[in-house]
Amino acid sequence: MPEERTRRHVLGLAGGGCAAALLSGCDGSASAGTTRPRRGGTLRAAFPGAGAKETLDPHKQRQFVDIARHKAMFDKLVELGPTLRPVPRLARSWESSADSTVWRFRLRKAVFHDGHRLEPEDVLYSLHRILDPHAADHLAANSLSALDLGNCRAVGKDTVELRLKKPSAEFPSLLAVTGALIVRRGYRNPEKPVGTGAFRFASFQAGRSLSAHRFDDHWAGAPYLDELRILSAESEARNSAVQAGEIDYAHEMSPTFARLIEGNSRVALVSTPLSGVDGFALKTDRPPFDDPDAAMAAKLLVDRERLIEVVSGNRAQPGNDLYGKGYAYYPSHLPQREQDLAQARRLARRSGLLNRRLTFYTSTVVDGFVNAAHLFADMAGEAGLRVEVVSGPPETYNTDQLTTGDIGNHRCGAMPIPTYISERLLDGSPQNASAWKHPDFDEDFVHAQGIKKETARTRAYGALQRTIRDEGGLVLWGHPDWLNAVATSVHGVKPAPPNTDDWARFDAVWVD
Amino acid sequence: MARHALRRVLLALAQLVLLAVLVFLLTSLLPGDAADVLFNDKAGTEQIARLRHEMGLDQPPAQRFLDWAKDLVTGDAGTSLTGGQSVSGIVAHSVGATALLAGVTAAIAVPVALVLGLVTGCRAGGRLDRTVTAVTLALSSVPDFVLSLALVAVFALKLGWLPSTWIGATTGDLLTRPGLLVLPVVVLLARTVSQLIRQFRAGTLGALNSGYARHARRLGVPRTRLLLRHVLPNAAVPGVQQLARTGDALLGGVLVVEAVFAVPGAATALIDAVRSRDVPTVQALTLLLAAAALFLNVAADLVSHRLSPRVEVLR
Amino acid sequence: MSGHTAQPPPARPAARGSGGRAGTARKKGAGGAATTAVAAVLFAVPVVTALFGPLLAPLAEASGPGAPYALDGRHPLGTDGLGRDVLALLLRGGGSTLGSALGAVALAYLVGGAVGLAAAVSRHRWVDELLMRPVEVVLPIPSLLVISLVGVGRHGNAWAVTMAVALVNTPVAARLVRAAALRAAAGPVAEAMRMQGESRLRVQLGYVGGSVLPVVAADVGTRVTGAVFTVAAANFLGLGMEPTAPDWGVTIAASREALLVQPWSVCAPTAMLLMFTVGLNLLGDRLLDRRDRRPPGDRRDRRARVPVARKEGRT
Repeated sequence: MPEERTRRHVLGLAGGGCAAALLSGCDGSASAGTTRPRRGGTLRAAFPGAGAKETLDPHKQRQFVDIARHKAMFDKLVELGPTLRPVPRLARSWESSADSTVWRFRLRKAVFHDGHRLEPEDVLYSLHRILDPHAADHLAANSLSALDLGNCRAVGKDTVELRLKKPSAEFPSLLAVTGALIVRRGYRNPEKPVGTGAFRFASFQAGRSLSAHRFDDHWAGAPYLDELRILSAESEARNSAVQAGEIDYAHEMSPTFARLIEGNSRVALVSTPLSGVDGFALKTDRPPFDDPDAAMAAKLLVDRERLIEVVSGNRAQPGNDLYGKGYAYYPSHLPQREQDLAQARRLARRSGLLNRRLTFYTSTVVDGFVNAAHLFADMAGEAGLRVEVVSGPPETYNTDQLTTGDIGNHRCGAMPIPTYISERLLDGSPQNASAWKHPDFDEDFVHAQGIKKETARTRAYGALQRTIRDEGGLVLWGHPDWLNAVATSVHGVKPAPPNTDDWARFDAVWVD
Repeated sequence: MARHALRRVLLALAQLVLLAVLVFLLTSLLPGDAADVLFNDKAGTEQIARLRHEMGLDQPPAQRFLDWAKDLVTGDAGTSLTGGQSVSGIVAHSVGATALLAGVTAAIAVPVALVLGLVTGCRAGGRLDRTVTAVTLALSSVPDFVLSLALVAVFALKLGWLPSTWIGATTGDLLTRPGLLVLPVVVLLARTVSQLIRQFRAGTLGALNSGYARHARRLGVPRTRLLLRHVLPNAAVPGVQQLARTGDALLGGVLVVEAVFAVPGAATALIDAVRSRDVPTVQALTLLLAAAALFLNVAADLVSHRLSPRVEVLR
Repeated sequence: MSGHTAQPPPARPAARGSGGRAGTARKKGAGGAATTAVAAVLFAVPVVTALFGPLLAPLAEASGPGAPYALDGRHPLGTDGLGRDVLALLLRGGGSTLGSALGAVALAYLVGGAVGLAAAVSRHRWVDELLMRPVEVVLPIPSLLVISLVGVGRHGNAWAVTMAVALVNTPVAARLVRAAALRAAAGPVAEAMRMQGESRLRVQLGYVGGSVLPVVAADVGTRVTGAVFTVAAANFLGLGMEPTAPDWGVTIAASREALLVQPWSVCAPTAMLLMFTVGLNLLGDRLLDRRDRRPPGDRRDRRARVPVARKEGRT
């Protein structure tokens, strides 16, 4: 069981220099502890906005800007660490029955903003609210559908017992999914958020800003900042505002911006390596990519370095057609796949790929998608393939992609490898872009999830990932760095992949 | 005059109703609906179907339109499909900034253009005329987004004289920090002023060379009196007419300006709503913007009618 | 044009004949020729590039792709975000930029002009009403909404954006043409032609249609500039073409972040756009001036507002 870890503990580590560098590399000077932590001040952090879609309801969170706002005011039971393993948050520890169907979580002594102590009933209320059948827009409902709500109960004053419909050794990490925040029991009015987070709600305007103030009774100690403002702004505005000193933290910056601020004394880059994956998805349930040889030809023809140079501005690590480099359960012993045009041509000829006209369905939904699509088409051309790039509407791209084109863009942020598999590679997965539908694969996955012993579970997951790498339809060419810009007057910002515990966490940040 | 005004207003109302139908049809033709967009990449088709039912999007379009219209008549603009807030709230929060930008721009543009148009028109071919013409030509030839980026790069980032964006600013801040308005308004002015000067100048030239002006000169009417009493009202007519069209161009410019300077305005809200297929919000914002445009058109008509009553003969 | 001689040549107004005025007019004539030459060159460079650039582009592409936003000597104007040669993009991108703007305006005038002309020359009031009422209804639709609906709905489609810009300009063109045609049709020349027993077709199409042309020509300059900007702004906002399309507007929009990293990627296409719009506007102004400098009698029936002419007739 993971040990208890408080913010002070982490801070102690930060005093020793660039703590984050130990975990995941450190690019800028912003995270280096050069001054002593100081109380007070306001931090203005800007995230890409979502207009009227932005919400105060933590169970409806979807966009990064929402997640960052809710993270300041609420906590989850469990968060994800730098390698995407579950780490304690409101649950200080947990244990499961031998068959991984009954889980007990011991709660921390935390206090809500209204002065009430956190109790198991709050957790049960939150789970009921998330799984409310009348609230279709609660994102966590999908991942938590394995909960047998009727048989979940409080055990004493500080333990909650959760029961599952089927065994899962991964259950704690499911409690860390987007939208699984713990609210005060009886929470109904989203306009009045009451959580256990480090900041208390002050004001909110969708599409614009959230203001929150320090919560002195926070369970991990009060944060340094007096006020945290989380603002919405498009990339243009974030670019200039962070350079002009109008904001202190800008989320999601481009590699071009990184080049622009080289040598800038006011702004530094906080770069997080291995923040997810970039790639292409080939549809494997129909010709030509139902033939693993055809899929392999596509994997061998790509020039990963060129894609990284152009699409990621050289700020990425080459991918090995595997998701989750650097995360728990990643099979790091497999050799790196390289471009091999001769072999690609051979396989393409053998699988009849040369005689077909292939469609690459792309969109501007993510910066770089269209560029990557055109680069792929060029590379495929060199291998003798004919690929036509077609662009679709960005708003519905991810859904349209499931049914349109032979090839599509693929991008996925940080999540545990089992979550990735269950969301993208099973027959019933909502986002199965490579149309990988193999009942035996699904069975093996369910079996692996139930294995309690970690080494055996790792081995089982490893075999599944290998299958995907060799026969599946995912060409995963790069693991991009995540780039945030931080004013040099801000300290304590740690590099962390989005969706992990330290990402967008401002509890331990201070300003000069 | 009163009858004429009444007719124009009634026509405008009919136009608004037609417009509402038209916009609803157009938004229905967009690929995907609010449920698809809201759950793009995150949920399965089953969950999307449930959401669609909750939003009432599984109703036939005609039914949805009638429901919306019924609510609107009772003063309820509906609820946003994506955020769950009231549409009137979204509109109220976004219109202020845009109205402020457009208002300040117009307040500067109209008098400046009127004076410069009159002066350059009176001395057509003179040095001032050539200078003004050259400057306005250059300004109106730079795409507004290039101008925005250049101004931000120089005045906000290099020199640090002015704020580069409105990020985090509240409406209260706008009054205490007028610096926020400078760059956006300059960008908006660039094209509007140029267009208006051209019209006012042309109007002045036309009026000066007209028969009645020549006649008045022959009769010995003093120059100033001639300019103010006879030339100005006629010179203003094309400018005033142009003003209504400028409103539309201004709106297009506002969109770019809002994006570059992070102004939380109506144009951004409209694009946002179109992108997320939030039909009630699109409807409300469109009707409001169209009502503003119609108001400008009607006002321009009535003003020109007053300035030079015979213009109506043409229309 | 022969009909014009039927008019008595009115005396040039004495007030205008002062020495100073004549002097500037002469100076302006000489300067005017120089300006016209400059305007023609400015206009020609982008147009020639757009027409013949694609033929030369392979030469610029010979050095192969480079690093993104690189200035490495192999590429005279550096590379863009995809590592493509900026010069080659410049050579290839004019066609779609100028083509879509010119096409949109041409289409607007073709459709709007036909409607406006038909409405003006029709002898039946109901035809006029039938044709112009719909125009009046769509006129106040914010062009922003049309562009965003089309941009979002038909994503990445250059034709769709062109059509949207055409759609936005059509009602304006219809109104402009109708007003100009009415002026001509009600003017003394048309009356004289009718009295001389000219066929109706010849009066309506030959004379009225012909006298609308200069008005259209003068308007085309600003309208094409506006269209160029609208298309470019749509691209800037992500509502236009694909971000990899070789198009000046797209290149500017896609590279804008690199303005200070690789300035050519933004400045070169911007310069092309600027030359085009400045040249076009200057040429348009020349055209207006030429009309202005014609004897006033000739001008009166086409340019001065009809009410003015009528007023004059009564005095």
